[in-house]
Amino acid sequence: MLKYIGLRLIHSLFVLFGLSILIFFIARIMPGDPARVALGPLATEEQVQKLREEMHLDKPFPVQYYFWLRSVLHGDLGKSLYTKRPIIKDLNEYLPATLELVFTSFLISLVFGQVSGVLSGYFKNTWFDGLSRLVAYIGVATPSFAVAIFLLLIFSHILGFIPAVGRISIIMKPPPRVTGFLILDGMIAGQFKVALNGLKHIILPAFSLAVAHIAQEGRVTRSSIVDNMQKDYVAAHIVHGIPTKSVIFKYLLKPSLIPTVSIMGLDFAFIIANAFLVELVFMWPGFARYAVTVMLNKDLNAIVAVVLIIGAVFAVVNLIVDIVVSFLDPRIRLQRRGG
Amino acid sequence: MRTQVPLLEIKNLHVQFKVFEGVLKVLNGVNIVIREKEKVGLVGETGCGKTTTIKSVLRILPSPQAKITGGQIFYRGRDILTMQPREIPGLRRGELSAIFQDPLASLNPVFTVGQQLGDILKHSMKHQGVKGISKKEIRSKAADLLRETGMPDPERILKTYPVQLSGGMRQRVCISEALRATVKLLLADEPTTNLDVTIQDQILRRLDDLVEERGTSILLISHSLGIVRDLTERVYIMYAGTIVETTRTRRLFENPLHPYTKALLKTIPKLTGKGLSEGIRGRIPNYLNPPQGCRFHPRCDSAMNICRKENPPGFSAGNDHVAACWLFRG
Ligand SMILES: Nc1ncnc2c1ncn2[C@@H]1O[C@H](COP(=O)(O)OP(=O)(O)OP(=O)(O)O)[C@@H](O)[C@H]1O
Ligand code: SF4
Ligand SMILES: [Mg+2]
Repeated sequence: MLKYIGLRLIHSLFVLFGLSILIFFIARIMPGDPARVALGPLATEEQVQKLREEMHLDKPFPVQYYFWLRSVLHGDLGKSLYTKRPIIKDLNEYLPATLELVFTSFLISLVFGQVSGVLSGYFKNTWFDGLSRLVAYIGVATPSFAVAIFLLLIFSHILGFIPAVGRISIIMKPPPRVTGFLILDGMIAGQFKVALNGLKHIILPAFSLAVAHIAQEGRVTRSSIVDNMQKDYVAAHIVHGIPTKSVIFKYLLKPSLIPTVSIMGLDFAFIIANAFLVELVFMWPGFARYAVTVMLNKDLNAIVAVVLIIGAVFAVVNLIVDIVVSFLDPRIRLQRRGG
Repeated sequence: MRTQVPLLEIKNLHVQFKVFEGVLKVLNGVNIVIREKEKVGLVGETGCGKTTTIKSVLRILPSPQAKITGGQIFYRGRDILTMQPREIPGLRRGELSAIFQDPLASLNPVFTVGQQLGDILKHSMKHQGVKGISKKEIRSKAADLLRETGMPDPERILKTYPVQLSGGMRQRVCISEALRATVKLLLADEPTTNLDVTIQDQILRRLDDLVEERGTSILLISHSLGIVRDLTERVYIMYAGTIVETTRTRRLFENPLHPYTKALLKTIPKLTGKGLSEGIRGRIPNYLNPPQGCRFHPRCDSAMNICRKENPPGFSAGNDHVAACWLFRG
């Protein structure tokens, strides 16, 4: 297993390297002059030319790439033309907020998706199954920003018991930073009020992001539960006197989770993509908004950094998914040991 | 002769399956009796309803497709079909057990042999009122059970997954799962199909010994009359959802009555003869529109007028010998 993880990590590094070349050139081919955008229309042609030289934009692409790669290997992602700060600083500020949001919604979709999937599979074709199918169709068909606006209206404006925007109330002092995850940091610092406040803020945006995935994962789990329920081994477990609860939540659930977990890696990418609009609706000071802003501003270094970070997160999440799948499915594990 | 209540008595069982094309009228009045410590065979061509019969007893017919439309199934005199749903698990944890047709399919692919077998033993022991059993005890009990079925190196097998085992080993695992200490009736559905003949023989002899030692009754389902002749005392011949003949096994081979049984016996390759004899003409009927009257009549050389109109009841030919055929009417 460790050997497998090592190989996968090396593989991911190659993929990221390829991705960096690709995005490096694409960013430069996009229309518009980054130096001009950065300095604004009032700057003189000389000033613009000077910035271009500073950024090596006057050199051929491969040379530019060489300079960029050299500084990246020294841990420097360059400076953002838009925020005028080192990109590392920007990431450090915005990335944890988004990751916290994305992981929370991932967790929500996992729990709700599995529970609804198992129940509607087991009680297939009953009212519960029908209802959850209806909710699923609506959930998949509704864009997450629309869900976000809808939830915001109901819970904050009409009912008023959940704060509308941001990560934490402005009157509260954020906890000392350890993980960058506000709720976690609040608990680590023992400031449970702060953690609770953070939780209240995150629940709506995370849920808006999760809705489509609850629906989708729930349906996938349902269909594999329905399939597996016909299997002889389920009949055998029942006949051999294993209690129903244990048959469902142990012997039936484990094999049925395999397809669901496999699609979760991909879902993660969708959640990140959807996060932008949801962050906008909830004024969440996150990475997704940063990413779009730098793209619109042709902020070359920041664009490359953003794509690479998303790529890296995606690679890690998919590696974790693969590990979980092979934990669930001994057939895959044995194959790897053999091969 | 014997007066005690039989262990299992299936009376006039009717089962249908609803499919896209219509209703399959599969079981059409099945009658089977199994007494304590008795070894009984059930033989018939593929698709005649053997598995459906035992699934009815175990109450695991697929719902909502399958429906029991008539009959009773008495276990020690109580009708399983009208029992409270909460009574059934106790029966399964206790006296009633089964081995299924396909050993690979009847083992959970994502749990080890030890996890599955151990869990079964744990619940069975709890059911007997044994309390505070340690994991280690369960493991060693599980290993003992595997050893009894002739499994080599049982401690190691407990840690493996079903895909890692050979067909014969999987079947030994299935037998271990089924043969818990309290089991009084074992329904064994073709326990050795798909295995090569030597292994098949070994496993069946082992199973037979175990059943004998424990005084368990067994209903042994098979395509093979040879296996049934060696291992059972009484036998039921099934055709297209009905029991067509039943008697003591010895007698069936000496004096078969029903035309279907006679034809079936002719298909056994004779060791002294000239190889395989011809199969039975025709095919098992379509359950959507089964033949009127005797379901065997389209394939029967002795069919008479009444056979096409009325379903023959079982006619007794003395000595526990019953044949459902108009030829033996009074
Ligand atoms: N789940 C099901 N849905 C629809 N029809 C079924 C189902 N199970 C069984 N049947 C029907 O019942 C008939 C009898 O099936 P069954 O499995 O009992 O036969 P069998 O005697 O066990 O055959 P084999 O020797 O091949 O195991 C089949 O021919 C099929 O038409
Ligand atoms: S009842 Fe008639 S058709 Fe059926 S087996 Fe007997 S003789 Fe043949
Ligand atoms: Mg069968």
